[in-house]
Amino acid sequence: MTVAPAPAGRWDEPILAVVLPLASAAVFLFLWQAVVTLAGLPEAILPPPLAVLGQFFASLPELLRQARVTVLDSVVAFAIATAVGVALASCFTFSGTLRDAVYPNLVLLQLIPKIALAPLFVVWLGVGAPSRVIFAVFISFFPIVLSTATGLAATDAYALKLCRALGASPWQIFIRVRVPFALSHFFTGLKIATTLVFIGIVVGEFISSNAGLGHYILLAGAGGATSRIFVGLIALSLSGLAFYGAVVAAERLVQRWWWE
Amino acid sequence: MEQGHGVPGRVHGISALTAGAYVSVSKISKVFATRQGAVEALAEVSFGVGEGEFVAILGPSGCGKSTLLMMCGGLETATSGRIAIAGTEVSGPRDSIGIMFQDPTLLPWMTVLDNVLFPIRILRRPLRDHLDRARELLDIAGLGGFELSKPHQLSGGMRQRVAICRALVYDPAILLMDEPFSALDALTRDEMNVALLDIWERNRKTALFVTHSIREAVLLADRVIVMSRRPGTIIEDLRVPFVRPRDFSLGGTPEINGICEHLRSLIGRTQRAPGVST
Repeated sequence: MTVAPAPAGRWDEPILAVVLPLASAAVFLFLWQAVVTLAGLPEAILPPPLAVLGQFFASLPELLRQARVTVLDSVVAFAIATAVGVALASCFTFSGTLRDAVYPNLVLLQLIPKIALAPLFVVWLGVGAPSRVIFAVFISFFPIVLSTATGLAATDAYALKLCRALGASPWQIFIRVRVPFALSHFFTGLKIATTLVFIGIVVGEFISSNAGLGHYILLAGAGGATSRIFVGLIALSLSGLAFYGAVVAAERLVQRWWWE
Repeated sequence: MEQGHGVPGRVHGISALTAGAYVSVSKISKVFATRQGAVEALAEVSFGVGEGEFVAILGPSGCGKSTLLMMCGGLETATSGRIAIAGTEVSGPRDSIGIMFQDPTLLPWMTVLDNVLFPIRILRRPLRDHLDRARELLDIAGLGGFELSKPHQLSGGMRQRVAICRALVYDPAILLMDEPFSALDALTRDEMNVALLDIWERNRKTALFVTHSIREAVLLADRVIVMSRRPGTIIEDLRVPFVRPRDFSLGGTPEINGICEHLRSLIGRTQRAPGVST
């Protein structure tokens, strides 16, 4: 029997792509556990992974209750940010003057560390949910408006010429041509916004709230319950992941419609 | 060059021809303002196109031939002069015009059939009345069975054939084609010429076809208008004598070679003319 040369794409490559990062994470957790146990670090400084895991299951009902608050606020903020962002980006395509007046300022605003403005929103809107939600909208709508505006402006020049030759109205061009062309840019903006909206809500919860995962983490920190900080972080990460996953799933659906 | 030989039926006396023509282009000039100053793209161009006539506009790149075509479609304005179609002055886009570009310009998220029907949607005409025509055009174009495919699943030539169907689906009186096959490889281009010839001979439309391929112009058109380098003027208006329906094997005959040679020498002369080097 002859030995065939190794094929270019090996069969185990896709599996390795999953296994390798999982393995490195497992090694990291194992080392963490080993170091904490061997060095005898107190749990208040650094709890070992297994203790965090135990704490996670023990606090699950409480975590779910807190996550519900954070996720709901995030969803509301995300919806508002999307609506405002898309509306503004759409206005830009209909009015060049408006775009020229506002767009450069948006790019400039995008550059300032908006997170530092959180206390301002408490001053304006009080300590309730509205101030947290509006703050999250404020920091997350920039990528949506910028990428959607880019997408709407990136419509194929020939397609626009074709529409003009047919005497299409600006509205017809917008709905039938610009919007479909803008979708991939739009989703890029949405994906960035999902992370930002969570940051906004949690920062808001740090500053003023009596519920939510941010509040939970803050309380745990104040009480020296370090494993509960980690547990809160895990819950926050899982919520964020689910949220991001939902947006990616929506994007996949749209891509299917585009290409299949 | 053996100019007398194989160059039949020159069309001269342009102003007389323009008067009664279906498409009449009279004294069209176009000046573009650029940073380097005013650039004259077209200088008093006049010609007429009869109803149902296929006219190719041939010229070197940058001679303003595409600009001229876009003016006929109402997509560009002239600096001076007038274009009229069926006696009415062109002042903007109108639905009696079907248009094709170098790029097929298919919308990637739509099926082939939806792409062909796109003008019907824009023109807000009843879809149901045009469905049969769309299918029939696709059949003629050799795309039967591909109605539900997406553009990215088709070859370049197939996409441009979809574009032909789209330009014809609303039954426009005039077909404007702006170098529609210049992005295709030579073999596909020949194949597209045959397809266009076939489709056009079944739906005789007044057609204006901009190209920089001499052979393509001669094979397809009833008349070839040759334009000079910028500022574009008409330097030849030639009737192509071959009867229709045309056979593509015509391509190799001495008669056609004579015409092509004559046109080539004309274009060569404008390119070598002093003061127009680029």
